[in-house]
Amino acid sequence: MYVSDIDMLSPRSLQECLYLLENEKASFRLLAGGTDAVVRMKEGKWQHDCWLNLKNIDELKFIAIEKDEIHIGPLTTHQEIISSPLLRDHADVLVQACREVGAAQMQNMGTIGGNIGTASPAGDTIPALFVLGAIIELTSLTGKRHICAEDFFIGPGKTVAFPNEIITKISFKIRGKHDLGIFQKLGPRKAQSISIVNVAISLSMKEGTRECTGGRIAFGSVGPVVLRAKKCEAMLALGELSPDMIANISRVAWKEVMPISDIRASASYRRDMASALLERGLYRLMKRWADDERKPF
Amino acid sequence: MKENHFKYIGRRVPRVDAPEKVTGTLKYMTDYHFEQMVWGKVLRSQYPYALIKSIDISRAQSLPGVICVLTHKDIPGFNGFGIVVPDQPVLAHDMVRCTGDAVALVAAETKEIAEHALSLIEVDYEPLAPVTDAEFAMSSKAPSLHENGNIHSHVIIKNGDMDAAFEEADVILENTFYSPRQMHAFIETEGGWGVLEADGMLTIRCPGQYAYRDRLQIARALAMNPARIRVISNPIGGAFGGKDEITVQIYLALLALHTGGRPVKIHLSREESVIAGIKRHPFKVQMKTAAKKDGTLLANQVRAVADTGAYASLGGAVIALAIEHCCGPYKIPNVDLEGFCVYTNNGISGAFRGFGVNQVCAAIETHMDMIAEKLGMDPIEIRKKNAYEKGDRSSIGHELKTSVGTLKTLEIAETCELWKNRETHKKDSSEPWKKRGIGVATSFHAVGMGIGLPDYGAATIELMPDGTFKVGVGCEDIGGGNGTVYAQVAAELLNCDIENITVIQGDTAQTLDSGTVTASRSTYTGGKAIAAAVPHMIRLLTEAASTLHKVEPEDILIGENEYYALTENGEQLLSYKDLYAHLQENRLPTKVEGHFMLPKEKEELPRSGGAPHHLYGYLTHLVLVEVDTFTGETEVLRVVSIPDAGQVLNPQGLEGQTEGGAVMGIGYTLYEDVLMDGGYHQTANFTNYIIPTIRETPLIETFPAESMEETGPFGAKGIGEVVMIPIIAAIMNAIYDAAGVRIKHLPATPERIYQAMKTGEVRQ
Ligand SMILES: Cc1cc2nc3c(=O)[nH]c(=O)nc-3n(C[C@H](O)[C@H](O)[C@H](O)COP(=O)(O)OP(=O)(O)OC[C@H]3O[C@@H](n4cnc5c(N)ncnc54)[C@H](O)[C@@H]3O)c2cc1C
Repeated sequence: MYVSDIDMLSPRSLQECLYLLENEKASFRLLAGGTDAVVRMKEGKWQHDCWLNLKNIDELKFIAIEKDEIHIGPLTTHQEIISSPLLRDHADVLVQACREVGAAQMQNMGTIGGNIGTASPAGDTIPALFVLGAIIELTSLTGKRHICAEDFFIGPGKTVAFPNEIITKISFKIRGKHDLGIFQKLGPRKAQSISIVNVAISLSMKEGTRECTGGRIAFGSVGPVVLRAKKCEAMLALGELSPDMIANISRVAWKEVMPISDIRASASYRRDMASALLERGLYRLMKRWADDERKPF
Repeated sequence: MKENHFKYIGRRVPRVDAPEKVTGTLKYMTDYHFEQMVWGKVLRSQYPYALIKSIDISRAQSLPGVICVLTHKDIPGFNGFGIVVPDQPVLAHDMVRCTGDAVALVAAETKEIAEHALSLIEVDYEPLAPVTDAEFAMSSKAPSLHENGNIHSHVIIKNGDMDAAFEEADVILENTFYSPRQMHAFIETEGGWGVLEADGMLTIRCPGQYAYRDRLQIARALAMNPARIRVISNPIGGAFGGKDEITVQIYLALLALHTGGRPVKIHLSREESVIAGIKRHPFKVQMKTAAKKDGTLLANQVRAVADTGAYASLGGAVIALAIEHCCGPYKIPNVDLEGFCVYTNNGISGAFRGFGVNQVCAAIETHMDMIAEKLGMDPIEIRKKNAYEKGDRSSIGHELKTSVGTLKTLEIAETCELWKNRETHKKDSSEPWKKRGIGVATSFHAVGMGIGLPDYGAATIELMPDGTFKVGVGCEDIGGGNGTVYAQVAAELLNCDIENITVIQGDTAQTLDSGTVTASRSTYTGGKAIAAAVPHMIRLLTEAASTLHKVEPEDILIGENEYYALTENGEQLLSYKDLYAHLQENRLPTKVEGHFMLPKEKEELPRSGGAPHHLYGYLTHLVLVEVDTFTGETEVLRVVSIPDAGQVLNPQGLEGQTEGGAVMGIGYTLYEDVLMDGGYHQTANFTNYIIPTIRETPLIETFPAESMEETGPFGAKGIGEVVMIPIIAAIMNAIYDAAGVRIKHLPATPERIYQAMKTGEVRQ
């Protein structure tokens, strides 16, 4: 089969799209921004009969707030997330992650749904979605399922979505008054690079102090899927986030990850970098917390 | 820039090809599509080292849409190519020596059919254990990849008494350095098209660095009269040495003979380009350097081993140039230098901007830094102390007869803002765990060919009916902007506006053989050839004017864009158009030629492989880096580039080179390497081949140290390669200044820097 034999259909509505997925015999692959899809196509990896182009389905493109929840449509581009004042207020960690996806071209074309759909262990938005406690909505012709981001990924390139389902929404709670987050990425260079290790951190702080009441930490590129660092998280609330405490928490990180060696980095470096990025991220967060609140510490 | 009386020389003349390149209207040769065109594809070897027992093309031939399938049996002439020794088969016959080896060719109606046809060619291989380490390749245990063994070349330069020097020394340093397999990463991968014209002429349009030599290599393989072959090698989407050797020209020619006159196009994918294209030679450099307490260098012992991969290409010349340059622009009285160019099954290495000097400069300039530190000397001071000047004897023992700018570049370095305020800059780090450092390094690079290779240039100037001049120089514009310099030189000397000049380059039907676009030679050579042609054109025009007005040639004056005849009736104005009309009517020539031989040294150092050169360009780099001690990431924040290019013909063009060269040097030092394992490329494409982007591009300042090179056009010499050389060691030295670790294995990736910091090889 030649690449030029692959067809493309461009449904105008979600309903039409779901109908095609359910009833057509052809094997489909969804196409959003195409920044992963085209690469795989060129490599001859994705052999399917037909692309289902989502570009025209406007109802999958939104950023909204409803009560205490933020809703993002899967067709929202990284650039749209970066420039959303709402998300800057409520999901700084996701905004920062989107800033690290490729460079301007990728941010203009690539979508959050596509980043989730590709399910790469190095996908930059995924750790951010983990620490935001995001819920991913899957829709098929017969109904909807809501799956917590952490349960969504099975392995590299594999998710719980069935072939007749599509991602229709990403949602998470608005942030608390003293919540703040950060995304740290180590790649082989600053732009257009696949993460060697990345980490998303979100903290809930106690006003006027360096005490943390809880938080979440998720690492990418250090295992078959993105991993939460629960031991580190448990240590966050043990006391003031002093430099010593930060160093101690970070030292534990290498125990929480199970990286492999590949062309980009060795497993042992990745382990060390999990700790390094967490430590650097926590320092930067505490500096921001101090600057923002103009705290005397 | 100081004032001069020229209209174009020394001025910031914008690139003549800038508008079409910036707006994207220029079509590269691989952008073209033609009616009736067919696609060519190359079957590459499945193994890095194997015997071929049989090749069955029958299934591929019978695939609908396939026009022809060719193997070594279809080569009419000599089945081999290579600039120096033609040791690379056009199409493998009984053996493959790397995964880039071509085994068969296909032409088909579409690219996909051609690709499919490749998969139907059945090659029966007997895989052999590949030789993947150059040191192993030199041992008696390794199988011989070529008839004369695995050592393609061995060069030696010796001077003085090493034992006595090491005895006398106060400081001795000994280190081993490893360098990466850098890829040219040009924007346009190898490709082009070929067509057999109705009159039997074969036209090959394929970006290259020497159309005339490509033509000869094609002719040899086709057993065809070269005069029946036209090669058009310009414009080019970048080359950097990577299109110096034959890329796909011979494949295009072979296929064109079998497509019934239909044009055939080949354009390598990036993945195929990575596998089949040449790379910079990875080197292992062992260096032992001795100095006295006062910083005077006493001795340098070097053993360099270059992995040339499966075929020689220019590997022999690369190692020779490396050894010629491995002591830096210094006068070291005792040297013992040797280099080996070695065959392995690791792809193919060949020409690349810097041509072996990059790898050895990293070693000597690291040693200079280490010696300075040991002796508590200023790193610029120690370089000044040892730098040679014109008239001095170099480390390899020859007398420098042409301009030498090292001292001047070092003096500028010392007084520039970055160096003067270096302590303040270093304290300025953006976060507490980031450490800043400043490094310096100086180097040089030969201009033109070594002894034993004829080196000449030629240019034509033709007066056109519309009164403009067509200036033809064989040397292609591979991106450096030599075409603009040619236009400047011609306009200046003809005393006309640059708008009256059209430059054509790289076309065997329209330009004379002017040698390669390599060896930092094309500004110098092409410029001189034009300067040689101009007097002939002026004579032609003067004579035309004098016959037209029946006055003596002395009564003809050359004005700006016009000529004057001093007649009895006063001054008579003659436009170029008038002069053309006169020449045309009287069947007089309208085209002139200029020829130029590059000056050379007379005596070759025995066994050196062509050293010394007569001319060198010099350059000093300063860099400011910041190392993140959490991760080992290095950011280059500032670069100061101080070239001695002789007289600068176009400051803007020079900056194009110093900036591009700096970025390429940053890539080499920090990011780039084509990784191989067992003879297979692990790096497939730009996903993992990391080159700097604009975000890795720092502030780059250029302060030319102008010297006067008497032999050059308007005092100029070449600069295209040295612009990327000292920066490598400057960054390595700056990393040490910042983080206290010496990285001797490039690229200095975050992981390598981090591991060095972690394992405690840190400065005390
Ligand atoms: C040069 C380059 C640099 C890159 N850099 C980065 C980087 O730094 N970080 C990073 O994380 N990624 C990077 N990427 C990968 C890619 O850009 C991102 O993953 C992007 O978010 C993918 O989005 P897309 O819309 O282009 O997806 P597409 O390519 O259109 O689709 C990707 C996958 O998601 C599926 N999909 C799309 N939409 C849906 C949906 N609504 N429901 C279910 N499945 C869906 C598709 O079927 C497909 O399998 C890079 C890619 C390139 C080419």
